[in-house]
Parts: sequence; structure tokens; C-alpha cells
Amino acid sequence: MKIEVFYSPGCKECAAAQANLKAAAHEANARVEWRELNVLDELDYAVELGVLALPAIAIDGKLVFSSLPTPRQLRKALNKHIARET
Amino acid sequence: MFTIGKLATFAGISADALRYYEREGLIEPAGKSAAGYRLYDKDSTRRVQFIKHAQHCGFTLAEIRELIVLRGRDAACCGDVRKRAIEKKLQLEIKIRAMKAMSKGLDRLIKECADETKPVEECAILAALEQVAGGAH
Repeated sequence: MKIEVFYSPGCKECAAAQANLKAAAHEANARVEWRELNVLDELDYAVELGVLALPAIAIDGKLVFSSLPTPRQLRKALNKHIARET
Repeated sequence: MFTIGKLATFAGISADALRYYEREGLIEPAGKSAAGYRLYDKDSTRRVQFIKHAQHCGFTLAEIRELIVLRGRDAACCGDVRKRAIEKKLQLEIKIRAMKAMSKGLDRLIKECADETKPVEECAILAALEQVAGGAH
């Protein structure tokens, strides 16, 4: 499973929350691939996914959060995603 | 200090637009004349220019209000403004993509209508549009 976090460089809110979210993601699935994408470097991809607000999180190429979730919300979304995949 | 008419002339917009900005909380008069007319100063001119520039970059009045609030917030930094500018760019890029798709759709329709002399009831463009409308129901 691939999790992509789109962030705007210099966003204090994003930097502070990312470590907790990453830990929560690995807790839900140890094999998760975690990518942090500077939206300015990946603008076309962000537009393709429909990212309108930052930070945003996509799971397996689908936009799931348009703002930073809590670790609990992320775990819940990941568990739901895993259940759908199996 | 000057009147709303003067400010409108300096800024190149109508007095009605300025009154609308005021209702939306974007500008406020620096004072009032003895007769109760709104009076403005140089800061008002700068604020209207700020609003106009932001509008040219695609910001809505509500978003411009947020920028103005950010500007006055001690804890805010340039990164907060930049984030909003990046989000606006994302919105614009998505709109551009949607419009390009529309333009391509029109290209297809224009291509389908090769014979301009046909009567309107045989128009391929109208027929194609009807098909799309039918498919949507």
C-alpha cells in the first residue's frame, strides 16, 4: 500500500504532524510505502488526483484526505482500505 | 482624506464595487465627513490595489479577506500566504485541465460537422449534443 502526503514547503503544520501520521500508518500496515511529496515538484500529479488544499493524503493513488487527519482517522481509513483490498 | 468617488477614480473601479468590498469586510472608511459621507485615505487606496491584484491572481473576495486577516496576524508567516497561493494555483490548474477537456470535446464536434450546407435538423453537432444529454439521464 502506498501513502502519499502532498505538502507545501515551509508548512509548519505538515512537518509537525507527519511523524505521528507515519507511525500510525506503519502501525496499521507494516509494509506501507510512505512518500512525502513537495506539491511544487509534483504539481501535475497533484492536479491529476484533484488535490485542492494542502496538506492532502492519497492512498494508492486516490485522494482520501484534503486536510491533515488525526493518526486515528488515518488508521481507520487504512484499515478500511485494507479490508476492501482483501 | 477623500470621498468614495475619488477613491473609485484612483482605483479604477466603481463606487458600488467599493461599497460591496466594505459590506464584505475588505475595506473600511478611515472616517466620516460632518455630513456623514465615507472618507478614505492612502491606506484605503493601497488596500483596493491589494484586492485588485489578488483578484487578478484568481483569489475570491472571501480568500482575499483571509489574506488580509493573515497579514494582520502576528503569528502568521510568509509560508501561510505561500500555502494559499499554491492552493490557488492547484485550483486554477484543475480548472485549466477541465477547460482543455471541454475544448477537445468541441474539437471533436466541430470535426463531425464537416458539411456546413446541411439543414439544421441534420446538424451533427446538435445531434451529438442530444446524444450526450440523453446519455446523462
